[in-house]
Amino acid sequence: MKMIKKISLVTIGMAGAALSMTANAGTLDDVKARGALSCGVSTGLAGFSQKDEKGAWSGLDVDVCRAVAAAVLGDASKVQYKPLTAKERFTALQSGEIDVLSRNTTWTHTRDTSLGLNFAGVVYYDGTGFMVSKKLGVKSATELDGANACIQAGTSTELAISDYFREKKISYKAVTFDTSDQTRAGFESGRCDFLTSDQSQLYALRIGLADPAGAVVLPEVISKEPLGPVVRQGDDQWFNIVKWSVNAMIEGEEQGVTAANVDDKLANGKPGNKRLLGGEGELGKNLGLNPDWAFQVIKQVGNYSESFERNVGQGSPLKISRGLNALWKDGGILYSPAMR
Amino acid sequence: MSNTFKSDPIEFKPTAALPAPKSTVGPIAWVRENLFPSISNTLITLFIVFILISLIPGVIDWMFISANWSGTNQEACVSDGACWVFVKAWSQQFFYGSYPTDQLWRVNLSLILLFAVIILSFTLPASFRLRVSIPLFLVLPFVCIAILDGRLVGLDFVNTDLWGGFSLNVLMAAAAIIVAFPFSFLWALGRRSNMPLARSISVIFIEFFRGVPVLALFFMGSVMLPLFFAEGTQVDKLVRVWIVLIFFMSGYMAEVFRGGFQAIPSGQYEAADSVGLSYWQKTLLIILPQVIKVSMPNILATFVMLFKNTVFLLIIGIPEVLQLLLTALSNSNWLGGHAVEGYVFVGVIFWVCCFSMSLLSNKIERDLDTDKRD
Repeated sequence: MKMIKKISLVTIGMAGAALSMTANAGTLDDVKARGALSCGVSTGLAGFSQKDEKGAWSGLDVDVCRAVAAAVLGDASKVQYKPLTAKERFTALQSGEIDVLSRNTTWTHTRDTSLGLNFAGVVYYDGTGFMVSKKLGVKSATELDGANACIQAGTSTELAISDYFREKKISYKAVTFDTSDQTRAGFESGRCDFLTSDQSQLYALRIGLADPAGAVVLPEVISKEPLGPVVRQGDDQWFNIVKWSVNAMIEGEEQGVTAANVDDKLANGKPGNKRLLGGEGELGKNLGLNPDWAFQVIKQVGNYSESFERNVGQGSPLKISRGLNALWKDGGILYSPAMR
Repeated sequence: MSNTFKSDPIEFKPTAALPAPKSTVGPIAWVRENLFPSISNTLITLFIVFILISLIPGVIDWMFISANWSGTNQEACVSDGACWVFVKAWSQQFFYGSYPTDQLWRVNLSLILLFAVIILSFTLPASFRLRVSIPLFLVLPFVCIAILDGRLVGLDFVNTDLWGGFSLNVLMAAAAIIVAFPFSFLWALGRRSNMPLARSISVIFIEFFRGVPVLALFFMGSVMLPLFFAEGTQVDKLVRVWIVLIFFMSGYMAEVFRGGFQAIPSGQYEAADSVGLSYWQKTLLIILPQVIKVSMPNILATFVMLFKNTVFLLIIGIPEVLQLLLTALSNSNWLGGHAVEGYVFVGVIFWVCCFSMSLLSNKIERDLDTDKRD
């Protein structure tokens, strides 16, 4: 027994040592030496990280990888995508296999403080929502008393809706399914009155219905799921680069800089445009990057609005509305700290 | 002495056999004897016929008659049947993963080499078959890896992240099986050895890898192992999984070999000892050929099992064929619910491969069955 304890202590110590060693490595130099960014993405999530028939990756999460690659290497295509499952994503980051994790990961206190990781901002504010059949004529989740709920087993959704309904003193009956396909089939066959999942996923599930127009997503969002890129703790320069690459996209939308007009804005824009795009000031130098880092991000990936609409918004089959993910001045909560 | 007995030879002339009674030959008799011999069997037959009649037309209609065959995107799937357009559009992904399109010949070449070596191992003249095919098998995985990776042989480097699809399942299983083969033989020898250290290490190894579920081993390979490597010694995920598969496979095969060793009569060992062969001469020249012969059916069954186990790699995100199917299903341009078509497709290609392997194993068994022929 003592022996086993000793061995396990040694192994934990070794793991810890390995972690702290990776944490102090200069990620920026590694990426430059490799000539490519190693980015952890999901194995497949509609609109966020998805592969097409040609093997090309796209999506909102993927665009974060591309933005960081554009800022660091000047080429958004220099990304090695590492598809990861939910279970292995943090290990892959801790062990140094990937430089950034951009895999619809919810920013929680526990993850931020206990895993040796840092969340570098939020690219999508998600939350548990409800989808009901239009026939039901329900306008709000509070009218769902006594209804049957289709839930995917083993997700955080289960906890969120049980908390919500207990608080509102509404009764419901959970019908759980194993996969999202089965959940959708259960909803479609009428096994339950409403389907609950993360809002971004509800839109993806709705497309798969035989009659997508026959189902509506209710306005209520009952849990906070801020999704964002994650980096290792202990490399502040790299943390800043990822954080400000995301902010550059948001700031680009706020300043009205798009992939199409970025050259013009750099030459003839307002002082704020020029500062963002590297015509003035030392923003790039402070990050250890070229002065045109944000210019490359917006030129090659686009600003936040362009990326959002292309991947999950009106330009995509998902047709998710901006909602919380609109800019602060448009009624959302998206806000980039000042670019100066 | 001339009183020989003489008489005309009597020839035996059998009467021609009567034809079998009409009630025991012909299709009607066959049907009566095999399908309706008793009341309970009649009921079972009727029940099965009823199920087949109610299912088959629907399945055929869905799979062929009202299926969608032509087009390149989801909008092409207009009729009610299966949307084979989905499988067609994604077929390159399903077979090759993201391997660069202009380099696909390297994957094909690796597969052709694999099949060539397998065929050679049957068709070469028996006098030097083993001496040629065994070294060929042992270098094959490394040659294939060199071709796919490209750096050693002067081709463009292709990162292992891009390898994938059904070709990965086949090559991964083959590479694991081939490398596991010699190891498992050593473990089996170790388990039968008189040396306590060798024996206990072998027993612990074999029982660990046989006792732990393969999914748990994959998780260990993908999640735990990287934490133990020092910084700078990144071991590729595919290599980690390959090592796990080799260990898993060699644990199982060691037990198959042990069964083979036990089936060899002790006279064979004693005969080898009596002509003064050393331990390794005895093992390699006398015992091993017989062990392989006896264990062949079980070895092939284990091969089929490992080949099917490669789809479990999806739970650690390796882009094998089933993982790519799930990836395809989550693409926002293909959200129309094509899961059934995809699973049918993957099921069919696995069935075809496994069925041909079992046909092959029947043939090998027949060819090897030299001493028990009556």
